[in-house]
Amino acid sequence: MTTATLTGEPALTRAVPRLAAFKIAAYLRSHRVVQPFLGLLVVIIVLYSTRAPAGQELPAYADSAAMLVPVLAWAARGLLDAEPDVQRLISMTAAGRPGREVAAGLLAAGAVAGTLAALAVAVPLGIGFAAFPGPATIVGGLALHLLSLVAGVALGALTSRPILRDPATSALALLGGYAGVLLLGLVPVPWLTVPVLGWIRAAGRPDFLTAGLPGPAAITVVWCALALLAYTRLRRTRP
Amino acid sequence: MRITDLSFRYGRRAPWVLTDVSFELPPGTVAEVTGGNGAGKSTLLRLLAGAVPPGRGSITGRPPVVGYAPEIFPVEQAFTARAYLGHLAAVRDRPAAAMDLWAERLGLTDLLDTPLRDLSKGSAHKVGLVQALLAPPGLLVLDEPFSGLDERTRAELPLIAAEVAAAGGIVVVSDHQHGLAGHPGLLRLTVAAGTVTVTTFETGLVEARTLEARTTEPRTEAAAAAGLGAGRAAPAGEPDGEPVPHPRQAVVEVLVDAADAEAVVGKLRADGYQARLRAHTPSEGAS
Repeated sequence: MTTATLTGEPALTRAVPRLAAFKIAAYLRSHRVVQPFLGLLVVIIVLYSTRAPAGQELPAYADSAAMLVPVLAWAARGLLDAEPDVQRLISMTAAGRPGREVAAGLLAAGAVAGTLAALAVAVPLGIGFAAFPGPATIVGGLALHLLSLVAGVALGALTSRPILRDPATSALALLGGYAGVLLLGLVPVPWLTVPVLGWIRAAGRPDFLTAGLPGPAAITVVWCALALLAYTRLRRTRP
Repeated sequence: MRITDLSFRYGRRAPWVLTDVSFELPPGTVAEVTGGNGAGKSTLLRLLAGAVPPGRGSITGRPPVVGYAPEIFPVEQAFTARAYLGHLAAVRDRPAAAMDLWAERLGLTDLLDTPLRDLSKGSAHKVGLVQALLAPPGLLVLDEPFSGLDERTRAELPLIAAEVAAAGGIVVVSDHQHGLAGHPGLLRLTVAAGTVTVTTFETGLVEARTLEARTTEPRTEAAAAAGLGAGRAAPAGEPDGEPVPHPRQAVVEVLVDAADAEAVVGKLRADGYQARLRAHTPSEGAS
């Protein structure tokens, strides 16, 4: 037996990514990834069953990013809910601190949602566009889906089981939250919520990357940062 | 490791589970947490392990490496025992081979490739114990570790606790079955009515003396009139906040037929008492 030495706390740089890998493995093995993957397929089929004509790639990407928010939120929520509650307690002690478990969960959720978002950008390049778009359009598409990813992870985290115990309430909050964001987007006050409709409007502008994107992107980042801050604060008392 | 004025409740409107609890766990301590169902034992263990933060008060000096084994291991995970422990070893920055020694000691080796969902209650419990021991713990927190274990593993656990303590670690065990009763210097943390009473056992069974029993929680008038207050409020005339002695324990000798002895001891233990069986000779009865 060998309890002769007491080693130190596991290093942050190793504990968090390894715990994130454990969470992703648990998520994939639980087959919960099938649901958001089907959602992604539906979005791709709806948007690209008829190839987007040349020059319309960026608006198509914007529609894709907007429609994927609930899909990515579902993926994030499913990942964060994949572990039993008691396992989170074990993971917290294994990682050294509760905050590391929260960080690992968000990292894992971001990785899964990021993979789905990357597919949403890459697949149309092969089958969704009439002509292969230029690099500016691809960068614009990546930026839009990055915003979708951040919004989806924030919404998914706030509706995950540690925050909302009841699955039905959680699902309603996720879908209702997304619907609320869309409805508030109709109000002519762009900073009132995550400007999902603002992404779509901005994508129609010729100067999208330089003038159209920064405003909605900044508002999106601020709202999502507040949401993730709320999530991490709530998790302090909801392990 | 020092717990100072610790209070906890699960929500802003929820009742306090623990109130103004203070005690100290020096390195090398083996502590047994007892108390009735719902008294807050598991909550205290989670607070000590650092899995939940105190509502008020503080826990300082917690060792950096904490091993925590829950009362019920969560088997609803799509891993084999080996894959699960491999992931947990990686998180703890330990090689996967770290599980082998503990799996061997706890009799889990043959089940390492079994899916967690297919493990029996006792075997799943062993997985929980192994993951808590993957890195040499400075603080080992075990919630009802003897529950459902076979005799071999039940005999092994006190040895492991003693070894962790001998290495300078702290062991805190919630245990209705008093599996660590023979440990010299065992500290007992009795959780009741929102507080924790600390008692130490010098010879391991019946000779107990109070180390510390302290609270600052006000008693209700009714409780004060009844002489209650969870056995921890300062009695009249005693300065507030001073340690209050816990009543000394007593030995009750019960003479039963030899054929009924095991059953009586079992019932006493099930009721939370420390009971041991010894042979009775006629000369004892005559004296």
